[in-house]
Amino acid sequence: MFTEEAETISSPHSPEPTRTLIDDYLAEQQRLQTPVRRFSDAHDQQILSERNQQWRELIPLSEPGLGEQYAFEVDLDRCTGCKACVAGCHSLNGLEEEETWRDVGLVLGGTRSHPFQQTVTTACHHCADPACMNGCPVLAYEKDPRTGIVRHLDDQCIGCQYCVLKCPYDVPKYSERLGIVRKCDMCQSRLAVGEPPACAQACPTQAIRIVNVRVETPEGKLIERSNDFLESAPAADYTKPTTRFVTRRTWPDNVEAADANMLRRQPAHWPLVFMLTFAPMAVGCFVFIAALPIPGFSAAITGLTAALVGLTASIFHLGQPLRAWRVFLGLRRSWLSREAVIFAGWFGLAALFTLERILARASINAHLFPGAIWIKFAIETAHRHDSAFAATVAAIGAIGLFCSAMIYVDTNRPFWKATQTFPRFFGTGAVLACSAFFALSPNFHYALGLIAAVLIKLGVETRCFRVLDEENDEPSPERMTALVLSGPLRRLTATRYLTAVAVMMTTGAVLAMPVSPYARWLIFAVALFSEGLERSLFFRAVFAPKMPGVVST
Amino acid sequence: MKWLKRLLRVREGAMTSELVLRPGEFGLGKIPSRLKPVATTSSICGFCSTGCSLKIHLNEKGEAINLSADPNYPVNLGMACPKGWEALTPLHAADRATQPMLRNADGILEPVDWNTAMGAFVKNFQGIQARHGKAAISFLGTGQIVTEEMALLGALAKFGMGMLHIDSNTRQCMATSHVAYKQSFGFDAPPFTYQDFEESDALIFVGSNPCIAHPIMWQRVMMNRRNPEIIVVDPRRTETAMAATLHVPLRPKSDLVLLYGLAHLLIARSAINRAFIEKHCTGFDAFAEFVKKFPLERTVRETGLPASTIERVVEIIATRQRVSFWWTMGVNQGHESTRTAQALINLALMTGQIGRPGTGANSITGQCNAMGSRLFGNATSLLGGYDFANPDDRAHVAKILAIDESRIPSQGSWAYDQILDGIDRGDIRGLWVIATNTAHSWINQGRFADLRKKLDFLVVQDMYGSTETARMADLVLPAAGWGEKDGIMINSERRLGVVRKVSRAPGQALSDFAIFKLIAEAWGCGDMFRAWSSPAATFEILKKLSQGRPFDFSGIRDHAHIDERRGIQWPYTEADEARFRMKNDEGRMTNAGARSDVEAQREGSTSSDQSLGSGTISAEADQNRRLFSDGKFFTSDQRAKFYFDEPRSAPELADEKYPFVLLTGRGSSAQWHTGTRTNKSDVLRKLAPRSLYVEVNPADAEGLHFRSGQKVFVRSRRGQVTAAVTITTAVQPGQLFLPMHFDVVNTLTLPVFDPHSRQPSYKACAVSISAK
Repeated sequence: MFTEEAETISSPHSPEPTRTLIDDYLAEQQRLQTPVRRFSDAHDQQILSERNQQWRELIPLSEPGLGEQYAFEVDLDRCTGCKACVAGCHSLNGLEEEETWRDVGLVLGGTRSHPFQQTVTTACHHCADPACMNGCPVLAYEKDPRTGIVRHLDDQCIGCQYCVLKCPYDVPKYSERLGIVRKCDMCQSRLAVGEPPACAQACPTQAIRIVNVRVETPEGKLIERSNDFLESAPAADYTKPTTRFVTRRTWPDNVEAADANMLRRQPAHWPLVFMLTFAPMAVGCFVFIAALPIPGFSAAITGLTAALVGLTASIFHLGQPLRAWRVFLGLRRSWLSREAVIFAGWFGLAALFTLERILARASINAHLFPGAIWIKFAIETAHRHDSAFAATVAAIGAIGLFCSAMIYVDTNRPFWKATQTFPRFFGTGAVLACSAFFALSPNFHYALGLIAAVLIKLGVETRCFRVLDEENDEPSPERMTALVLSGPLRRLTATRYLTAVAVMMTTGAVLAMPVSPYARWLIFAVALFSEGLERSLFFRAVFAPKMPGVVST
Repeated sequence: MKWLKRLLRVREGAMTSELVLRPGEFGLGKIPSRLKPVATTSSICGFCSTGCSLKIHLNEKGEAINLSADPNYPVNLGMACPKGWEALTPLHAADRATQPMLRNADGILEPVDWNTAMGAFVKNFQGIQARHGKAAISFLGTGQIVTEEMALLGALAKFGMGMLHIDSNTRQCMATSHVAYKQSFGFDAPPFTYQDFEESDALIFVGSNPCIAHPIMWQRVMMNRRNPEIIVVDPRRTETAMAATLHVPLRPKSDLVLLYGLAHLLIARSAINRAFIEKHCTGFDAFAEFVKKFPLERTVRETGLPASTIERVVEIIATRQRVSFWWTMGVNQGHESTRTAQALINLALMTGQIGRPGTGANSITGQCNAMGSRLFGNATSLLGGYDFANPDDRAHVAKILAIDESRIPSQGSWAYDQILDGIDRGDIRGLWVIATNTAHSWINQGRFADLRKKLDFLVVQDMYGSTETARMADLVLPAAGWGEKDGIMINSERRLGVVRKVSRAPGQALSDFAIFKLIAEAWGCGDMFRAWSSPAATFEILKKLSQGRPFDFSGIRDHAHIDERRGIQWPYTEADEARFRMKNDEGRMTNAGARSDVEAQREGSTSSDQSLGSGTISAEADQNRRLFSDGKFFTSDQRAKFYFDEPRSAPELADEKYPFVLLTGRGSSAQWHTGTRTNKSDVLRKLAPRSLYVEVNPADAEGLHFRSGQKVFVRSRRGQVTAAVTITTAVQPGQLFLPMHFDVVNTLTLPVFDPHSRQPSYKACAVSISAK
């Protein structure tokens, strides 16, 4: 396939100065032979037809039937951990340098007389009930009705990474360069022409192939999967993964992923930390305005400012914010979609309410400009129904915050279960609204509210550590979270507790002796910091489920 | 409405098209459309000695843009391990050495031009020679460069520069097999072909974990349709042991006792091939007498194995038709490794399990070009496997090279460890390290830093200026790597394959060949190497050197010929080539394809004999050839010889202070040796453990109150490392395992060497373990 160019490393026959020889060698080193197409088509055809022969064993003979879909089948007895599938997928799909769609992990267990280890190759499981798809706010995932392949629409993705949190198998991978996630599509375009996926092609021992599996009952209901997936992997009942792991070996009872005990910190997601500190505060402010009630506009402005900061921060979380206008598409299934739509509307409403409060005190000259009479009428009407207006704003805000919490509850991660997430999110609202209002006016009730809210929150947070007192030291998600909080994150955890206690004590002290309002704002600042820290721990300490990995990662 | 649908749900666009696949042509199937090649070429992988062919995808400038495993090569049949798939990535690493670096007066390495570098090289090394004698400079080379470069290096160093003691890192992997074969068979001649993995009824792997170390060979085991017994002799329950039909978890370093015990039991039940022994071997009776000292009770006692396991192995060897013995580093890196390898050879000889399909005593070891180094390294044996001590050999080689006979020393080189001892004593003052990383890889690593201080001048020639050894150098010479130069490499089954230049070396980096040529000129011995004008011209010299030798490949025309035939196994004489042509013509007429023959064999046909020596090499079988089918060996009497010695206990046993036996070895298929190249690939790094871990048995972990993931100290008499605990039944109680790829592991290992091969015993030393 190359021109038969003779080797031309120059060889001086008379002693030349070394200098010239160096130049010759440097030039020769940079010279590549230009490719010329010399392969005959027949030759290509022969290779392809030979390969087709081998490939036919790796893909099903027919398309999936009714209630069936394509799935990976991994013969564990043939998977011996060479990891060619990962590298082959990477090269044949042209992924980014550090991007991999497949992974090979290790499962350990057994006894002295029956030692056991098993390598496990794994990629997207193209679940029957895909959590990634169900959570996506912009419908950037679709499940092919014919093949069951869960496909990601790269140009639709807004880069919110909610699917990364939703998938229990750590499948979608976020690309900083593109600002979107990408994932395995079972090489659907290869399958379409009778070519196996890259991983299956690359496996030296033919451990990976595509099979048709039944995922629905004849009545069209999804078939439940519980114990037939893979020991040591996250349970199958949540998303109903379709991958079949087959083996003729008997597995011991005590298997565990090789990385099961590794303490893994998760990313803090700073824009989300800001958003989920300020947005609850904003909701808290408007709830107090409506419930106590609080007259005037300074409380409303405080709440609105917090809302502005929180919602602005959320935009920075997105890899592709300009595509985010489609966020309403997922309303039917995605809590993220619901949160975004509700908060966006709520912010407008809260702004109008605040405006109403500000303008209520001003007397508007109805003849100032044409139409002013209508504005005057609107403001007066609104003012007449101020308490109903306030209640509406509070209620919608609370619903928005409810959706925020549900985003995390819906990931099925134990640390983010409802009894943790709701008190934390609404608690932050109470703490920050109370401390802000306390700074605005040194009211005894705000101080008590603040202290009570912080205490309740600390109580809720401390419950996470109870698991460490248990006898059982299995690496459960709850236990791993507690170990991360008290291990690699212990400094941040301690700071969270110290600052929270400081907020309570100084609040009490300030009540006892009158001080300048600045001191009360300082308390607010510390409370804000402390709550932000708590929110960052909420993200960093969560146990992110995944398929078995290799040791010491 | 369609536009609305498109607006709401974007299915196409720039990001989607990044991943779109299109038919790649060139037999590639679908590939990413942005990486579509205009041509492809093939090149033999530059990591291990399996010798897989990689199909390199080229753009219009002839630059490699991607690669895939070559489907049309008899070694790897369209497969590659992750290192192969990622072979191009390390070429583009940021820390490539791009210009020569010379340590200045302030002790800092600063960039210089090649002229200055060559001047410094010559001035310092010739200065040392003037002060301390010619033999006061030395080099430590590699199994990772092409054969033409190895030959030029060996010839330049000894005949041109007057060095006496040179060695290479193949001492760490291949030396044992080399010596064992040389003594037993009369030449370093691994007899097998990879097809034997498929043809065997019983495969016995000793100290070998091909699932991780040689996945593409394991592929062939998995293709075996004969329902084979797979016996894995290894203290660890490795991936391969998991896949075996019988795991033999013997005590570390009790392998020689086990193998002698097996020999004894086989003889006792007359499960030997008396006819083969009498016709083709010498020394059997003494061996049979010797192994009487290894009754079952002793073997059980010393190996810690149940009698039933040992008896099962004997039963399998005695009853299966085709039995093959395979070994890797577990054997080669031991304190009595040569005799252990020969114990395996003895088993094959006495049962007549050699020279037939699916048999053999087979070493699956080595770097990509370990065999090139063994044949042409010019270290212990004279260029081309000749004998330095033999005047006829010296005259013969001198004549081929057209050099003065007196240039050829009459003694072989010191081994690696002896060269280091020579530095310690002050006998060697200048060292040149080529494409290896001694400061990381050599046993009892801590010592090298001290030795460095005793060197007047250290030159490191490498792709990277960042290796542990390069950072210590006085002069760093930037070398082009695999993929940036041409030449041939020889794999484990004696197959010559071609390596191609498909990428530009960065900056001023030059191929090792060009660097050696420059040095020859600067040294003043350029005239001696005029005929070595290019790798292709050098190959002609190598052919001449091979003529009449066991590895005679003078029937190969040139690099292109090797490529056309998809690699050529030695020996390959002109007679072989003539026979091939004749058969091929006949084959065309009868329309018999290579495919059908291979298929026939896979179905278990015993009719096809592709073996050498029988005089019937069929054209179809040309791609899979094995040695000794006529029972004629390379010794002077053409008989294979039984070698044996009384086993010695491991040199450092566990004791009260260091109660654990430390095993080391390959930890993952994504890492290669010291990670100089594999650490440069994000994908390979992702596939490998990120930090050092130590495998501990659950019983020991419980006794020591270790948690999984806990950081611990592992200490030996020589050093201490920190590692994270992995609790696994893969290691036995009282044993620990550390993967060798992490730089600190060899601070622990014990500098003990096999007396025959001088290969270091990396695999067992005494350590303690304690919480950090």
